[in-house]
Amino acid sequence: MIGCYDFCGHYDWTFAWLERQGGETLLRDFWKEAIGEDSQRHAAELIRDERFEGMRKYWGHTLAEEGAGYTVTSTPDAVRIDMHECPSKGFLLRNDLAFSRDYCDHCIGWIGPLMQKAGFVIDHEHNHCGQCWWEVRAAADSTPPSAPGEIASEKDVRLGAAWESPSHDLFCRANSVEQKESAVVKEQIP
Amino acid sequence: MLPYTDKKPVGAADFYFAINATFRFIRRKLGPDGLVKYWTDLGASYFEPVTARWRDAGLPAVAGYWRDFFSAEPGGNVTVSESEEEVILDVGTCPAVAHLRAGRREIDPWFCRHCYFVSDAMARPAGMAVRISGGNGSCTQRFYRADPDVPAQDLDAITSCA
Repeated sequence: MIGCYDFCGHYDWTFAWLERQGGETLLRDFWKEAIGEDSQRHAAELIRDERFEGMRKYWGHTLAEEGAGYTVTSTPDAVRIDMHECPSKGFLLRNDLAFSRDYCDHCIGWIGPLMQKAGFVIDHEHNHCGQCWWEVRAAADSTPPSAPGEIASEKDVRLGAAWESPSHDLFCRANSVEQKESAVVKEQIP
Repeated sequence: MLPYTDKKPVGAADFYFAINATFRFIRRKLGPDGLVKYWTDLGASYFEPVTARWRDAGLPAVAGYWRDFFSAEPGGNVTVSESEEEVILDVGTCPAVAHLRAGRREIDPWFCRHCYFVSDAMARPAGMAVRISGGNGSCTQRFYRADPDVPAQDLDAITSCA
């Protein structure tokens, strides 16, 4: 039987397997269709029907069940998530597992299209070390992403010592993996 | 003993939704043969560290693995018994099928076949075999040293979840 305890391990393995079978297209279809439209359809329904409140309910349940270290901060026009200890990437790092090219891309791979259907866009950055942040706004709202600390105060993951890493991926007003604007590769400090 | 460990004592049950959706997606995109290939590749590759322990330590390692496995899965009712000849999993309540039913999810009709194909791919390189009867929420799984006299798995003996 395939279990849920080590789900993140065989999930990551599955990404690599799918890419070998059908390239990036099959993998992106998997995130959008299998995860966003099938597995997580309860998230799609909550967010479609209850908007920002639906996001708070969904991530409040899911991230608590997965044992994440995170904060959700709300403004009237945005929901912000600061992920300080991603349970999913953390599982891979602790167990020294790395099957796929960029495990962290799977989140925007399914959340991005789901948010697009519901009329939202995403600003997002991850550091490949288990930390990331998300800001979700209505697609018609052109407000840029907040400055560090502006919305989440001291809970903003960008203010923590763990935030710096050699490689960050950034997405601005995005709804898909293809909109990765920059892979910021920082110089390793000797 | 499990090859990978988490900080949580048990997994998050909603991941069963993703496992079921993955099977449905692969069947739709790559066909039934593609789904079987996924399961056999997963068993042979991802679970290779488990196979290595089974090869080294035999049936006691098989029993130990499944006891630890089901103690980390939420909501199941599974008894693991062992003798010198075999290890038997009596799955009274499959945690995955129970959660999918509670979540009112359409279960892939071949969902229970994944247990055979994944476990077979894990067991073969360790010189073992598996046979399964039942399914759709409860089943019996027997692991034993490979024996050419034992008939091949009858896939129709694994109950559909449709």
